[in-house]
Amino acid sequence: MYGWIWRHLPGNAFVRALISLALVLGTVYVLFQYVFPWAEPLLPFNDVTVDGQ
Amino acid sequence: MSRARNRIAGLISVFGELLITAGLVLGLFVVYSLWWTNVLADRAADKEGAQVRGEWADPGPGALDTKGGLGFLHVPAFGGDEILVKQGTGSTVLNNGVAGYYTDPIKSALPQDKQGNFTLAAHRDGHGAKFHNIHKLKNGDPIVFESKDTWYVYKVYKTLPETTKYNVDVLQQVPEESGRTEPGRYITLTTCTPMYTSDYRYIVWGELARTEKVDAERTPPAELR
Repeated sequence: MYGWIWRHLPGNAFVRALISLALVLGTVYVLFQYVFPWAEPLLPFNDVTVDGQ
Repeated sequence: MSRARNRIAGLISVFGELLITAGLVLGLFVVYSLWWTNVLADRAADKEGAQVRGEWADPGPGALDTKGGLGFLHVPAFGGDEILVKQGTGSTVLNNGVAGYYTDPIKSALPQDKQGNFTLAAHRDGHGAKFHNIHKLKNGDPIVFESKDTWYVYKVYKTLPETTKYNVDVLQQVPEESGRTEPGRYITLTTCTPMYTSDYRYIVWGELARTEKVDAERTPPAELR
């Protein structure tokens, strides 16, 4: 999978490494900004009130 | 024969890479929960706290504003910072690194009320983790609430290290589970336990020991010095 992505990136190894880094950072951004905030309330780690629900 | 084997080897390697990816994503989620949400929440709470202090110092037109924040909680046993107190215990309130007072299922009294129970909730981990050290509170420890013009000094008299989230009676205006049967001026802190999960709830009860008027320099009461 990652090998396949690497082979299909343009440019030489240096350019590919740069693009890979950008892809990784983009993925982390999407996770922190959208995916984790969405997932967090669905998981039972952080309910602090007594509410009977 | 060898083409089929290559295919299988390829599939297994993709599967392995997916597993590694899933592990990394879970690791990132821990970083997010225990670090990044604290960064965001502390930033938001500092901003709101500064706003409240600004309003106290220079009250503009319009009277008491309870929406922005009611005051600050100081708990020496937690070490460190003041905790902004706001109305409500929904995640939109608590996720900004504040303690919220209950409006539901049992409405909280406010510190200035003649009697009642001032009931608060805050996060144990993440989102500012304002009640992270709740287990360090022992009987006799002070919990100080600072309003615009008064210091309310409470003393802890009972802790309940583990109860269920269904136990809403801990929030009663006379919290009988703490051993008190007479109306008084109580404070109740609730958060989740054990740390990093929310299987149970941790409860701490305190009782008002005295109040002090805030002076011009906002000199803190003896307990905080």
